Amino acid sequence: MAEGIDPYDELATLAQDPELASMFVAEALDHLGTIEAVVLQLESAPASAGLLDDLFRPFHTIKGNAGALGLASIQEVAHAVESLLDLARAGRHRLAAAEIEVVLGAVDLLTLMIRELPARLAGQPPAELSARRLALITRVDALLGGEAPPDPAAGSPAAVESPPAPLLMRRWDDGQPSIKVDTRKLDNLVDMVGELVIAQAILAEDPALQSASDERLMRRLAQLKRITADLQRTAMAMRMVPVRQTFQKMGRFVRDLSRKAGKPVELQLSGEDTELDRKVVEEISDPLMHMVRNSIDHGIEPPAVREALGKPAVAVLRLSACHQGGSIVIEVADDGAGLDTEKILAKARARGLVPEDASPAAAEIHQLIFQPGFSTADTVTELSGRGVGMDVVRRNIEALRGRIEIHTARGQGTTFSIRLPLTLAIVDGILVGVGAERFVVPTFAVCESLRPSASAVHEVRGRRRLVAVRDRLIPIVHLGELFGIEGAVRDVCEGTLVVVEDNGRFAAVAVDRLLGKQEVVVKALGEAFEHVQGVAGGAILGDGRIGLILDAGGLVASIEKPSLEVAA
Amino acid sequence: MEAMGNGEAGRAAGKPTLAGKYLTFVLGDEEYGVPVLKAREIIKMMDVTPVPQTPRHVRGVINLRGRVIPVVDLRLKFGLPPREAADRTCIIVVDAELPSGCVRMGVVVDGVSEVLTLSGGEIEEAPTLGDGASHEELLGLAKVKGTVKILLDLDRVLGRDGLVLPRPV
Repeated sequence: MAEGIDPYDELATLAQDPELASMFVAEALDHLGTIEAVVLQLESAPASAGLLDDLFRPFHTIKGNAGALGLASIQEVAHAVESLLDLARAGRHRLAAAEIEVVLGAVDLLTLMIRELPARLAGQPPAELSARRLALITRVDALLGGEAPPDPAAGSPAAVESPPAPLLMRRWDDGQPSIKVDTRKLDNLVDMVGELVIAQAILAEDPALQSASDERLMRRLAQLKRITADLQRTAMAMRMVPVRQTFQKMGRFVRDLSRKAGKPVELQLSGEDTELDRKVVEEISDPLMHMVRNSIDHGIEPPAVREALGKPAVAVLRLSACHQGGSIVIEVADDGAGLDTEKILAKARARGLVPEDASPAAAEIHQLIFQPGFSTADTVTELSGRGVGMDVVRRNIEALRGRIEIHTARGQGTTFSIRLPLTLAIVDGILVGVGAERFVVPTFAVCESLRPSASAVHEVRGRRRLVAVRDRLIPIVHLGELFGIEGAVRDVCEGTLVVVEDNGRFAAVAVDRLLGKQEVVVKALGEAFEHVQGVAGGAILGDGRIGLILDAGGLVASIEKPSLEVAA
Repeated sequence: MEAMGNGEAGRAAGKPTLAGKYLTFVLGDEEYGVPVLKAREIIKMMDVTPVPQTPRHVRGVINLRGRVIPVVDLRLKFGLPPREAADRTCIIVVDAELPSGCVRMGVVVDGVSEVLTLSGGEIEEAPTLGDGASHEELLGLAKVKGTVKILLDLDRVLGRDGLVLPRPV
């Protein structure tokens, strides 16, 4: 029957109602996520009636929905697994390793089939999946018939027992009703609220109102300001989603990786409820997967080694998220071998990254693993070790205005700490003026500001200027010169120096004057300006004009590698 | 006007029909036109925030109802001497199809004239002009009411040179 299904016929209903189609896809993928999470729990509790029920129901729903929409191929796969699970929850079929593999295989197959629906509706031909469909259904039939089909994972070491499943004790939903909203509508709303905030600020700063002394008017304006602020907080909160989904994706990933590597790993999650800006959650997924991969591949020792060292055979990988100050901290911690500081230093020396006579501190040495092309793996494994990883991880995190720190102890394990801002849409900044222009320096990059005395400023080779700040000599970046701004104050001693820091390197940015602190809405300048060195984006200021947001990294880099300067 | 050579006639035949409505505007002493559908809106000249490391003709960015868009000065792009903004100076907001993708941007012009409906017969193939605009960037020349309007392929004009100066390696 599998071959009789015409892949083109089944799109008829969906083609007529695109909204229905996207709803089906979104909900089905949600269900598949739930299924995956439940399966992983079932691996350590295969007889749990509650879990079996939790597994059966979403398959049943997918089958029902697919059937109602005429999606025969999807319905067929869901139906096959549903029959198997129905027997399992009635106690008439035990869920052994073979069944688990089949269910996970079905999840993968259904994910593929459902994900490609939008493309198929747009006219693209379907992927050639009928062979896989047939194989899966055949396997289910075989299991139902009482045979155990050949274990496809026969290649992996049989000695590795199914590792304990991640401790995912929470229910998928927390009982609160919720609705799905098109993210574009949400973004639109957030944008408009942003404009409202600006419009209200412009109104509040209007000279006519500033000079008015009407108390009632002032109170009404204050009320408007309060409501606008509340509205903005609410709108921003709508962009926040819990990390839960990202963390739970790791469950399956860790399971598969640990099997392939032959190292039993227990994944522990905490803080899944912690909320992040939606965009950040999307972008953090890849770096996290990379670090998890690194941990399992290189950090965690093979079980024999661990036993010899007196460590528990099952390694522990902990993912956690929490709020700390105004940021979110996400940690990836393993109890593996820890970083080999000596090896890293040796490799760095061999690459010329560290001069022979320098003896950097341990923390600095560890940061070296973020250099491009750096990998101390002796053999390049299929999964990682190609040395393209950690620098991309750091860059991705820095693109989110985050930082990543390493804590490691030889023989005990490694912890990566990622610190991220709560939201990308707003940045806390210090407003500075240069000539007729205004710039925003993100507060997180600022160390201090000062007006230097002439004696503190030194000139090297007639060009490069340094300022002595306590016991440090910091190079000066004159913003007016760097950006070609007319009318900028020339003498740094008559302006202000803002000391910024980027990854341990400092620059003293010379500006005309400080204009105050401000929380600003960040706007991307667009792809066209992505590579402007020293500029991270634009901020819409209180009067509606744009102030460029400075990028500390770019400013620091401009000292070493000045880019082209354009005369105004 | 020089007679069209065979090559030019061939090329003219290749272009899709040019008849239609054009928004005309003034730059210096010349009048130009762009297909009216290209122009999304026209706004009064406003303060432009300069962006460093950009060519001279890229004036910077402006805040268009909460969205940041780049602004290009067409006078400077065509090699005309710069001019202080006057009463009639305005910005035409267009969706430019650049090699890198579609970019919404503003184009500063000395003044906007009118929307003209041009028939195919009123549009001629443009001869190669001197510096300022190369042949590829012109859709043609329109002779209307005794004046000549230079019809621009705005995507090509804006696509020539990037918006940002290349970084030295």
